[in-house]
Amino acid sequence: MRKNARGLTPARIGLYAFLVISAAFFLLPLYVMIVTSLKGMPEIREANMLALPHTPTIAAWVKAWSSACTGLSCNGIQVGFFNSVKIMFPSVIMSIAVGAVTGYALSLWRPRGVALLFGILMAVAFVPYQVFLFPLVRLFSFAGLNSSLPGIITVHTIFGLPTMTLIFRNYFAGIPLELMKAARVDGAGFWRIFGSIMLPMAVPIIVVAMILQVTGIWNDFIFGLVFAGRENFPMTVQLNNIVNSTQGEREYNVDMAATMLTALVPLAVYFISGRWFVRGIAAGAVKG
Amino acid sequence: MSGIQVRSLKKSYGALTVLQEIGLEVQPGEFTVLLGPSGCGKSTLLSAIAGLDEIDSGTIEIGGEDVTDREPSQRGIAMVFQSYALYPTMTVRGNLSFGLKVKRNTRAEIEKRVSWAADLLQITPLLDRKPGQLSGGQRQRVAIGRALVQDAKLFLFDEPLSNLDAKLRTEMRVEIKKLHRELGMTIVYVTHDQIEAMTLATRIAVMKGGQIEQYASPDELYERPATLFVAGFVGAPAMTFLPGVYRAGGSPAIELDAVRVPAGSLPLAGPVGDGTEVILGVRPEHVALAEDGAVGQIVDATTQFMEPMGADTLGWFGLGSQRISARLAPQRARTVNGPVRLALDLRHASLFDKATERRL
Repeated sequence: MRKNARGLTPARIGLYAFLVISAAFFLLPLYVMIVTSLKGMPEIREANMLALPHTPTIAAWVKAWSSACTGLSCNGIQVGFFNSVKIMFPSVIMSIAVGAVTGYALSLWRPRGVALLFGILMAVAFVPYQVFLFPLVRLFSFAGLNSSLPGIITVHTIFGLPTMTLIFRNYFAGIPLELMKAARVDGAGFWRIFGSIMLPMAVPIIVVAMILQVTGIWNDFIFGLVFAGRENFPMTVQLNNIVNSTQGEREYNVDMAATMLTALVPLAVYFISGRWFVRGIAAGAVKG
Repeated sequence: MSGIQVRSLKKSYGALTVLQEIGLEVQPGEFTVLLGPSGCGKSTLLSAIAGLDEIDSGTIEIGGEDVTDREPSQRGIAMVFQSYALYPTMTVRGNLSFGLKVKRNTRAEIEKRVSWAADLLQITPLLDRKPGQLSGGQRQRVAIGRALVQDAKLFLFDEPLSNLDAKLRTEMRVEIKKLHRELGMTIVYVTHDQIEAMTLATRIAVMKGGQIEQYASPDELYERPATLFVAGFVGAPAMTFLPGVYRAGGSPAIELDAVRVPAGSLPLAGPVGDGTEVILGVRPEHVALAEDGAVGQIVDATTQFMEPMGADTLGWFGLGSQRISARLAPQRARTVNGPVRLALDLRHASLFDKATERRL
């Protein structure tokens, strides 16, 4: 019985004040970016960062997408967008597929010291990637994978594995063992149990894995720079090239538009999957 | 339909031996219950028969075939689990047909068997629902249905009723018994509930510490328990145990704490040595009030207290420092007070060797 739950108590006012201030803190830069991207250069020179555009124009967005210069070529950030798409889809699918299978296999395998093994796996997931760069480049050039689409996809799959494996293992380890016993009595083998029983139950965790991997891979910069090769530079690398390779005047509106375009995909993932995310978790939590 | 033959089965987890030299034989069509307290190895034995747990040594035959090294699905068994273990993402129909699909039955055959089982268990209206939308009792039926659709030679039940409330449990118990009578399948059923065991089984194997203490019909088990453990585990209210010393001779007797009871009418298997430390086991229904004309060995006792249980009242009486219980009619129990004379019907009593805990 919380009588004052809807009344405006001082605590509640403080809470709202805090929320409004935090929201403003995070939304202000976004606001600046959006209004700047909708202005023309003369207006930007007026240096009223917070002012709304007098004559809104999407010219900067068009330029950022299709004709901004990234180094020598001037085809806009769209090249990077499609490269990122080409890198992301196979990488996300591969890392989740492999992670789900290894996680499932490890959930069945419970020897002594298994906690230690997963501790190590977890720790490895936190080792800075920079440590691996040089050995990996040598290994990849030896295997002929360097500077290629398969190369960068392999890297993303490998580096996604510790996290993906752990997520799936922990999820599958929570599924009652009797379910698997029942399936074994029914005659299902390793793959049949995985495909018909475990995977359909894993929808909520697959959504979680997808959010992690899509945003992680889309936001990646260093692997794309090192392993993708000049032809396949992802959007993040292209964005950096647009922002940093300026001749003459710095086109803030184009930079802002290009940045917004790059951020659009992770943003969309959160907006679309956010609901799924909550729904999935809630659906799984109600009853076993 | 086929029987089981388990020979010298052993199983241990590290240093812990869970099954030691188990031998068990189940006749075709028999309803065998594995009964025992938790940790006695009954579920492990069932898992071993199902092939879900590996065993260290021994052999298992089902229907005359050695299945020791076969996968569960190759043993011709069907199983009902304690948690029901229904596939949560599939409908009831999906749950029933999954095993049949895996085993590559034709669509018509699957349809036929599913509707047969659904009809038998009255779950036809539930076929398109998911397990999450069912009540406990309905889930239980579905779990049994999933076992029934299989063309199984042997049905294994692992504490199937322990998650149901008391009323549903009684209903499902009757239902399972009915199924067994109608279909005549061979069943091995694990439970820790002795009433479930007594009501369902054609034979009960009472287990303790990884061994089978006694394997006999419910009547035999109740009337002639082979060990002290079985005597104490089976029967509610429990058998009274009175420690004493056996005196052989012309008129054999047992010296209890305060009284000396003639032992001539005890159903003994063989002669008992003079001075053997024994435990006399008497069920409450074989103790009555002498003044009501009950037959048996008369002893003097004092009334201690009464436990009304509805149909009967359990009366507790002191025999020296020992205590004995009697099953009395409720109306009669209300008038019992002070010193009484009890009649022990020793023709139905049990005598155990205190050292070996085995029946004498």
